[in-house]
Amino acid sequence: MSEIQLVSRPNRSFLGFTIAAVISFALHVAGAATEATEAASELQGRWSGTIQIPGHELVLVVDLAREANWSGSATLPGLNVKGAPLTDIKIEGADLYFGIQAMTGPSVEPPKIKARLSNKKLVGDFLQGGNSARFALEKIGPPQVEEMPRSTPVAKEFEGEWNGGYELLGYPRKVTLKLQNHDSQPASADFVIVGRKVNNLPVDRITQQGNFITIECNAFGITYEGRLENGEIHGTVLQGPSEVALVLHRPK
Amino acid sequence: MKLSLLVILFVDLCGFGLGAHGQAMFRGNPAHTGVYSGPAPRQFHRVKWKFPTGNRIVASPVIEGRTIFFGSDDGNVYAVDSETGRQIWKTKTRGPVSATPAIANGTLYVGSYDGNFYALNLETGALKWKFATGGERRFEAKGLHGWQPKNQTIADPFDIFLSSPVVVDGAVYFGSGDGYVYCLDANTGQLNWKFKTGDVVHASPAFADNTIFVGSWDSYFYAIDAKSGKEKWRFHGGEDALIHNQVGFQSSPAIMDGVVYTGCRDAQLYALDAASGKEKWRFDNQLSWVITSPAVLDGKVYFATSDSALYHVAEAATGKSLVKEDGRAYMFSSPAVVNDTVFIGVFNGTLVARDAATGKVLWDFQTDASKENKGWVLTAERRFNGPLLFFDNWKEGPLIAQDRQISVGSVFSSPLVANGTVYFGSTDSFLYAID
Repeated sequence: MSEIQLVSRPNRSFLGFTIAAVISFALHVAGAATEATEAASELQGRWSGTIQIPGHELVLVVDLAREANWSGSATLPGLNVKGAPLTDIKIEGADLYFGIQAMTGPSVEPPKIKARLSNKKLVGDFLQGGNSARFALEKIGPPQVEEMPRSTPVAKEFEGEWNGGYELLGYPRKVTLKLQNHDSQPASADFVIVGRKVNNLPVDRITQQGNFITIECNAFGITYEGRLENGEIHGTVLQGPSEVALVLHRPK
Repeated sequence: MKLSLLVILFVDLCGFGLGAHGQAMFRGNPAHTGVYSGPAPRQFHRVKWKFPTGNRIVASPVIEGRTIFFGSDDGNVYAVDSETGRQIWKTKTRGPVSATPAIANGTLYVGSYDGNFYALNLETGALKWKFATGGERRFEAKGLHGWQPKNQTIADPFDIFLSSPVVVDGAVYFGSGDGYVYCLDANTGQLNWKFKTGDVVHASPAFADNTIFVGSWDSYFYAIDAKSGKEKWRFHGGEDALIHNQVGFQSSPAIMDGVVYTGCRDAQLYALDAASGKEKWRFDNQLSWVITSPAVLDGKVYFATSDSALYHVAEAATGKSLVKEDGRAYMFSSPAVVNDTVFIGVFNGTLVARDAATGKVLWDFQTDASKENKGWVLTAERRFNGPLLFFDNWKEGPLIAQDRQISVGSVFSSPLVANGTVYFGSTDSFLYAID
């Protein structure tokens, strides 16, 4: 008897529970969706505040905007970080996650942010170098996201292979640069510097303006700036504090 | 007889015996081998005491009897009881005392950034004599390390130490920022001779076979006749005309079995024939400075590097690598070898004890400043957090960055090990005794 009652009661209430649960879920989803939309709308803007690093309060300015996708940039006054792009922006309800493409170094990954919109403030954790600190940002205006310069196609005269060499700190280096166009897409480059090791440099940006070309590799902190003159590129390798002349020729 | 034996045993058990003598100069002996005798803590037990001074301590302590002697960048030379950490005396100079004192015949010898070289009474700290050099200065160059402005002469904040004297046979030898190596009469302070190099001499001379061995920031390493002051030979290290980063001998040499071992800022550890100056081998540290003064024992050379933060043990005969361990941060402190244990200070505010055979860390001690890690100078792994340190290459930016770096209580001081206790200074201004 008790078993029937025990079985029948849940059976009777199951329908009611299911209906209630479905309604509740629908309301929750609708509410959450509304909340998410509101949160997303509220997240857009310029945010400013401080990160509570022990013994050193750090100012952080974040610009967040949404068009087709989210984009953003960050500025850390005093740390030489201005308009650094935000990476991997992810929004889950009122929670926000992103990285800042800056502040890297030997054995140091770029900073990451975990934040939550709460009482019109963006509060969360700033993670850098394995350390973590709390921050709170307030909205101070509309977003002013900085756009990073992008790679361009290169003129036909620049396309193909170039070779050269330079000496730095007593060691000779051989350089091979191969530039390739992809229809109207930005050009790509194979940039190899052979010293005591073979370094295949990942190229972040190739920009050409007139007869002037710039190749940038952030991971190695190397930039090559050169001018096309009489079939050669006369330029400079900039690496950290060093500036060394490098002339690139066509292979013989 | 019995009484004398008891007295000797008592003195030895108290740790104030012979082991505490004969170590009273930088690197423990005139040949600067960095080898110390007696017991050494294989495990960390406690901070026995810590003694505050008014500014950073970069040089190393020495011990005579039961008293520790050392200089501080607050300008004072201190005498402190090795057991209690109680101050016995202090004597003021007019500049930072960034050199390790040497002790002989009841006299303490040390140089100061005020440009004077001092001889003090060991018991009281009273001045016996002082000698004016041509004046101190740090190594400097235009656009040093690539810092801007490029045409501005910049003093090197990594030129941390002053030359520590070596005292032998009534003569005291030391280098100076005026570019000279000096030999003075240890009793009177009268000049016996001076030897001119091309730049700052902040390395500490070592002595063996009537020869003084020392490197200069002019990129030459010199062997000088100890009696006459005449050059015997010179060895040319690397040059760096571009940014003056890979040049100069800041490391002090160690001499063992007719071979000179010295680090260089050209990123090499050199083994040179002591008689001829001919290179026997070099250990390439791939652009990373060797500031540490090597220690040499039982056919092995112990040293460490700066940027690559590596702790090395190499075969003394060939330079072949025997041990290579990650040290996490720059090492300017020189290793002290005591039996089966090696002690070395690290720029990140730690003192590390390693097994001599394997190089593995036995224990480490972290200063409070390093634990606090103000401004996130260090990563969670205690490596330097570059982006929060050197973010400004302009004007005084890099100098301020170096101040930021040493805010964690860097241990530049080379550990002194005596009577089972490790003594060292820190840029947090304390001298520590750990057992």
